Amino acid sequence: MIRLTIDGQEISVPEGMMIADAAARLGIEVPVYCYHEALGPLGACRMCLVQVEKMPKLATACTTAVAEGMVVHTQGAAVDKGRKGVLEFLLINHPLDCPVCDKGGECFLQDYTFRYGPPAGRFEEPKIQKVKDGPINEFVLIDQERCVLCQRCVRFMEEYVGEPQLLLEGRGVETVVSTVEHRPAQSQFAGNVVDLCPVGALLATPYHHKARPWNIERQESVCPLCPVGCTTLNTGRDGRIVRVEGRPVLDRNWGWLCDRGRFGFDFAVSPDRLTVSRLQGHDEAAARATRQVGQWLEQVVGQYGPDSVAFVIGGLHTSEEAHQLYRFATEVVGTSRLAMSRQVQGYLPRGLNGTFEDIAAADAVVLVGTDPYEAVPVVHLKLRERWRQQRDLKLFGVAPRTLGRETLPVDTLITHVGHEAHVLAQALARVVPDHPAVAQLAIQGDSGFDDAATLAQLGQALVNSEHLTLLWDGVEPEVESVLIALATVRGAKVTRVLPTWGPSNWRGLERGGFPARLEALTQILKDARDGKVQMLVLWGADLLREYPDAQLVQEVYQTVPYIIGEGLFLPLGSESMRAFLPEASPGEMAGTYINMEARVQTLTPSVQPPGQARPTRSYLNAWAHSLKKSFVAEDDWDPFDDESGDLLPVEAIPATIAPLSPVSQPSGEMELATGVLVMENGIPSELLRSRKPQALARLSPVDAQRLGLSAQGMVRVARNGEELRVAVTVDQAMTPGRIYIPLGVPSCPVNKIGTGVVEVARLEEVHSA
Amino acid sequence: MTQARYLLRNQEIEDIDQFEVYRAHGGYDALKKALAEFEPEAVVDLVKRSGLRGRGGAGFPTGVKWGFLPKDGRPRYLVVNSDEAEPGTFKDRELIERNPHQLIEGMIISSFAIQARQAYIYCRGEFLRGYEQLSRAVQEAYAAGFLGDNILDSGFALDIFVYRGAGAYICGEESALLESLEGRRGNPRLKPPFPAVAGLYGMPTIVNNVETIANVPPIVTLGAEWYTSMGTEKSPGLKIMSVSGKVNRPGNYEIPLATPLRALIDDYAGGMQPGRSVKCVIPGGSSVPLLMPDQLDTPLDYESVLQAGSMLGSGGCIVLDDTVCIVKASHRLVKFYREESCGKCTPCREGTYWMADVLERVEAGMGDEGDLAILMDVADNINGKCFCPLGDASIGFLVSAIRHFRDEFEAHVREHSCPMGEKVYDTANY
Amino acid sequence: MKPEWREWAAEARTEFPQAHSALLPLLHRVQRAEGWLSGETLADIAELLDLSPQYVQSVASFYSLYFKEPVGKKVVHVCMGLSCMLAGSDELMHQLEEKLGVSQGQTTADGEYTLLEGECLAACDLAPVAQVNLRYHGPVPPEKADTLLREEVSP
Ligand SMILES: Cc1cc2nc3c(=O)[nH]c(=O)nc-3n(C[C@H](O)[C@H](O)[C@H](O)COP(=O)(O)O)c2cc1C
Ligand code: SF4
Ligand code: FES
Repeated sequence: MIRLTIDGQEISVPEGMMIADAAARLGIEVPVYCYHEALGPLGACRMCLVQVEKMPKLATACTTAVAEGMVVHTQGAAVDKGRKGVLEFLLINHPLDCPVCDKGGECFLQDYTFRYGPPAGRFEEPKIQKVKDGPINEFVLIDQERCVLCQRCVRFMEEYVGEPQLLLEGRGVETVVSTVEHRPAQSQFAGNVVDLCPVGALLATPYHHKARPWNIERQESVCPLCPVGCTTLNTGRDGRIVRVEGRPVLDRNWGWLCDRGRFGFDFAVSPDRLTVSRLQGHDEAAARATRQVGQWLEQVVGQYGPDSVAFVIGGLHTSEEAHQLYRFATEVVGTSRLAMSRQVQGYLPRGLNGTFEDIAAADAVVLVGTDPYEAVPVVHLKLRERWRQQRDLKLFGVAPRTLGRETLPVDTLITHVGHEAHVLAQALARVVPDHPAVAQLAIQGDSGFDDAATLAQLGQALVNSEHLTLLWDGVEPEVESVLIALATVRGAKVTRVLPTWGPSNWRGLERGGFPARLEALTQILKDARDGKVQMLVLWGADLLREYPDAQLVQEVYQTVPYIIGEGLFLPLGSESMRAFLPEASPGEMAGTYINMEARVQTLTPSVQPPGQARPTRSYLNAWAHSLKKSFVAEDDWDPFDDESGDLLPVEAIPATIAPLSPVSQPSGEMELATGVLVMENGIPSELLRSRKPQALARLSPVDAQRLGLSAQGMVRVARNGEELRVAVTVDQAMTPGRIYIPLGVPSCPVNKIGTGVVEVARLEEVHSA
Repeated sequence: MTQARYLLRNQEIEDIDQFEVYRAHGGYDALKKALAEFEPEAVVDLVKRSGLRGRGGAGFPTGVKWGFLPKDGRPRYLVVNSDEAEPGTFKDRELIERNPHQLIEGMIISSFAIQARQAYIYCRGEFLRGYEQLSRAVQEAYAAGFLGDNILDSGFALDIFVYRGAGAYICGEESALLESLEGRRGNPRLKPPFPAVAGLYGMPTIVNNVETIANVPPIVTLGAEWYTSMGTEKSPGLKIMSVSGKVNRPGNYEIPLATPLRALIDDYAGGMQPGRSVKCVIPGGSSVPLLMPDQLDTPLDYESVLQAGSMLGSGGCIVLDDTVCIVKASHRLVKFYREESCGKCTPCREGTYWMADVLERVEAGMGDEGDLAILMDVADNINGKCFCPLGDASIGFLVSAIRHFRDEFEAHVREHSCPMGEKVYDTANY
Repeated sequence: MKPEWREWAAEARTEFPQAHSALLPLLHRVQRAEGWLSGETLADIAELLDLSPQYVQSVASFYSLYFKEPVGKKVVHVCMGLSCMLAGSDELMHQLEEKLGVSQGQTTADGEYTLLEGECLAACDLAPVAQVNLRYHGPVPPEKADTLLREEVSP
C-alpha cells in the first residue's frame, strides 16, 4: 500500500493506482473526460490536471500513479487556470446547441464548464464543421462536432469489448470518430458508448429529442431481461420507460449493459402486451374477471380440497410477488402444490453459487453448456476483462457446440448432446481416479469423447486451479452431481458456480417460497394429467414454451378444468385458459430481483402499470375476500438476510453425490442442441427487431452441404413424432452432426420435440423468419 | 570552410555514398576496430566518456541513455530516428542520402555496444531517395559481411531493417515513432515506461537520431579525448547546423560546439544576402524561441543557447532578415504545428488551431485589440499541459516573437494591414 | 483485390521480424501501384493482414502520404515551411495554381497533376523546394514553375 496526501487528507491505496482514483476514494472529484478506470489511463483530454508537490509542471491525475509520500493538490490557482484553459479549448470547436442536445443537463462539458469553466467565449474564429446526427447503428447517433475526442467509445469497443467497430479517423483537429464505410456497429455492447460519452456526441436514437432533463427523473433499477441483473437507471416519461442507462456501482460493476437490456425496455409497451383481463376468451372488466376467478377458486377448494389447486410461478415476477403468492397459496388456499416454471432442468444448490467476484479472481473458468455472449452478455464482458488482465487464464468449455469466439478464446470440448456431465466427470476421473467423490459418480458408458490430452488439461484445471469458477446453463441436470463431486474433491480450494438460466429472478421466486427444482413442476403436471388438479394457476408461467416436455403440458391443458393465467403476454395455449389476467411489469412496481450471484437488488418503479395491469397482491387480496379469509398481502416481507448483506444466506454444499446415468454414443446423424439466446428469450421488443437473428437454427457447413442448403434455408427437424419447421443458417463454428435451436422462442419452441437425436431435412420453400 | 569534416565527409569526397568509395576512405574500419578491440561495455563507456549528446533535439547524453537498458536478458532494439521534419532542419537527410554507410557503420557499432540483434531505421516517408540509398547500402553491407550472422568473425550478429514513414511530423517523437513502426497511428505513448525499458514491441529499445549515430564511428576511430577536445565540457564535440533563410550559402555545416552563432552565419553560411540584416535567428529548429541580433555572439552549445533563452535543439538555424514579417513567420510555424498535431490531447489540438486562426487574421489585417492577449493566454494554456512536447514546441517561437516584436504585432492590428508589405522574397538572389 | 497483393502482403509480413509492422509498407506498395487507397482497397489490405477494416482505415487516415482520394500522375508537393516561405514558396504555389487551373489540394481535370502543400521537406538549403512524386526539385523560384511541371519523373 502507498500512502499519500490529497488536499490535506491522507489515504493508503494499492500500488499502481492513479491519483484520480485515489482521490475518488476520498470523495474528491477530479474532473475527467478521457479517463475511465476500466479502460486505463490515456491522458488525452488533460482535464484532470492537478498539482503534485515537487513536480515542475501540472500533472494529469489519470496518468500519474500514486507514490509514497506524494502530496497532491486538486485545487489552486495553477490547477484552476489549467482546467479552465482545457475547457475553453474543448468548447472552441463545440457547437452551441446545448438547448437542443439530449445530453443537456446531464453533460460533463456543461457541468465542468459551470464549475471550472471560462466565463465567456473569447473564440471568434469559425468552428470546424463535421457530421451531425450520423448513425453509428440503428440505436446510436453521432454528432462529430460535439465530440471531445476522449476516445472512450473507440477504446471501449476496440480494447474492452474487442469488437473494434468505431475508429478514429484523420489527424489533429480534423480527427473524428466514425464507423468504417458507414457500416453499422453491430456489437451487442455498442449501446454502452452512449453512457461512456461524457458529452452529447453519442446519443441513443430511441431517446433522441424525447425528453429534457428537467422533466424526467431517473430511477435506480435492475434489468429484468436476463439473470445477470445489470444495474440500471430508468427514465420514465408519460407513462412509459423511454430510456435505460447503465448504473455503475463503485468497486462492483462498471455499469455496462448489453443492447438487449438497454433498448429492450419497450416490451412493457409492446402491442402484444395484455392490459385488459380476459375471461372465457373475451375481454372483461378487471373487477369482474377477478371476482369470477375468485368464485371458481372458492368452488374448487370447496369441492375438491385445497390440494386440487396448483400454483406455478414464472416470468418476470419480483421476489415480493412470489412471496405474496406463496403465502396466499399456503395460508389462504392451503395447497402444497407449488412450483416454478423454468426452461431447464438443472438446479444449483445455494452453497455452490458464486458471485461475479469469482470471475474477477478466477484462474480457471469452465463454461458448461453456456455461451455467455448469447445468454448473459455482460458476463461475457466480465470474463473478457479477466482474460485481458490475466492472459494465461484457463478457459474451457464443455458443450455440444463451440462456446468461444474471437473476443474470448475458449477451449471447448465438444460433447454429444446430453453428455456434458459425463465428459466433465471423465476429466475429473482422469486426474483423481481414486477419489471417493469420483467413485460416487459411478461413471459408466462411453461418451465418445476420447481426446485424452484435452480431457487431461480440463481435469488439471478442474482439480488444481486455485480459484475455479464455472458457468452452467442448467440444460443437463446431472451436472449438479458432478459439481458437488468437484467441490468435494477440491476441498479448501475455491469452487464457485454461476447459473446462467432464467427466469431472471428464479432465485427470488425461490426465496419467496416456490421450489425451484423442476421436479416439483413435473410432479404437479403429472398429477394434473392424472386428474388430481382441478385448478392450475399459472402466474407468469408459459408452460408450453418453457417446460422441457411440451407434450405433457398439452395433455394437462386438455385435462384441467380451470386454468387461470396471468402475465404480460398471452402464452401459448391460452385458448385452454378460463381466464387471463394482466400483470404489472417490473418497471411498474417496487420490489427485488435476485440475480445469478444470489444477490438481492432493488427495483424502483418509473411508471404506473398501464390499463388493468396490476401487481400480484391486488388479485390476491380480492380472492382472499372471495374465500372469506382474512388476508392482506402487504409489502411486509423483505428478502434480505441480516447476516449476509445483499447476498442470500450461505448454505453448506450438499453432501450426497448422485450417481450419473450411464451414457452411450447416440445413434443418429444429427443431434439437436439448445441454449439461451437472450435476444430471443420470449420477451418481445419492437426496437430490437433488426437485431433478431434472421434464422434461428444453426448448423455446420458440412451438414449444410449434405442437406443441400446454401447459406440459409428452411429445415424440418423431427423427433419422437413431433416436428419443427425452422429457418437455418450456416455457422462455421458449429460442429458437424449438431443442429442448434435456442430455447423458448415462441415461434419455434424446441421443447415441443426435445433435445437429442433428430432427423433433419431440407424444406423446399424458403420462409423468412 | 576548410576545416576537416568528420560527419559531412560527403561534402569533400565525391561518391562516398558508394560502398567502394566509402571503404577506400577508411569506411568500416571503425567497425573492425570496435569488434576486434572492444567489449560491448567498453564501447558504451567510450561513448559515455566522449560526452556525445543526442542530436535529435533534446541533447540527452547518449552513453547514459544506453546505460538505462535493463539487464534482464530480453531482446533489445536500436531504432534510428530518421524522421527529420523539424522545420529548418535538414542534416539527417543529407547524411542518409549522401553517406548512408556512415550511418550503417555507426548502427552496427552501437548495436554491438548495446547488444541489440536487430536495428531499425525509421525513415521519413518523404525521403524517398534517402530510403532507397539506405536500402541499397544495407544490402551492400550484408554482401560485405558487415551485417547478418557472425559479423567479421566476431560472433556478433545484426540485422538492419529500413522502415518508411508516411507523412507525420509527430512520428519523430520517439514513442510515436515506435507506434508507427509497429503499424499504428503515430500517437505518442504514455511515459513511463520509457523506450529503454519498454519500447519497440514492448522490448528495451534505444532510439537515437541519425546524426547521433553518425558520430559513433569517428569517436571509435579517434577516441573520446579527440571528441572532448572540441566544444565545451558539457557540450563536447561536433554538431551539424542546418542554416537556411536569408544567408548567402544555406546548407549544412559541421561545427565544433560552442562556435559562435555569428561565425556560423558569417563564416560558414557566407553572411547575409546583400543589403540584408538579421532580424532574428531561430537557432535550433522551429520549436525553439528566437534569438535577437544582439545575441549573435552566443556560442552554439547546449548550455549557452539555453542561457540565451533558446535551445540548440536539432540545429536547424533559420535566419530571418529585416524584410520578414514576424506575424507571417509566426503564423507559418504555428500552422505547421496545427497541421502536425496528432490530435490526441486537447490543448495541442485545439490550441494550435486557435492560434493559427488568430495569427492568420492578424496578418490579414483583421486583428483586433484583444488578439495579442488571447495569443499569449492560449499559449500559456498550452504550455506544460500537453501530452507530449509537440504542444510546447508550437509556442516557443510565437511567445518569443511577441515578446521581442510586440510593436510589429500591434502595428498589424492598429493599421489593419501588414506593415512589411506583401512580398517577402526577392528573385534577384537566385 | 489484385492477385499480386496477396504476394505483397505475404512479403510485407516477413519483411520485418514482427508482422505488426507490415501495414505501412503494404499501404505504400499498393498505393504505388494503384495511385491511391480507396475504402475498398483498405478493406482488402485489412483482410490480407488479418486486421480489422476499422484499424486499417484509422491508421491510413493518420498519415498524409496515403491518398484517400484519386490523385494525378504527378503529385506535386510545394514546401510551405518557413525557410521556403522566405524564399517565395507562396508565390510558387500561386504560380502553379494559375498554370494548372486548380487550387492546392486539387487534381487537374485531365488527371495529370495533383497540387499539394507540403510541410517542411527538410531541404531548406534548396528553398523554395518542391517534390514531384517525392523527388526533390529545388530551388524552384516562382518563375520556374513551368520548368517544374515539365520535369520528367522517375517512378
Ligand atoms: C514533436 C517531436 C518531434 C521530434 N522529431 C524528431 C526527429 O525528427 N528526429 C529526431 O531524431 N528526433 C526527434 N525528436 C526527438 C526524439 O523524441 C528523440 O528524443 C530522439 O530521437 C532521441 O535521439 P537522440 O538522443 O539521439 O537525440 C522529436 C521530438 C518531438 C517531441
Ligand atoms: S501534444 Fe498532444 S496532440 Fe499534440 S502531438 Fe503531442 S499528444 Fe498529440
Ligand atoms: S482524464 Fe486525465 S487526461 Fe483525460
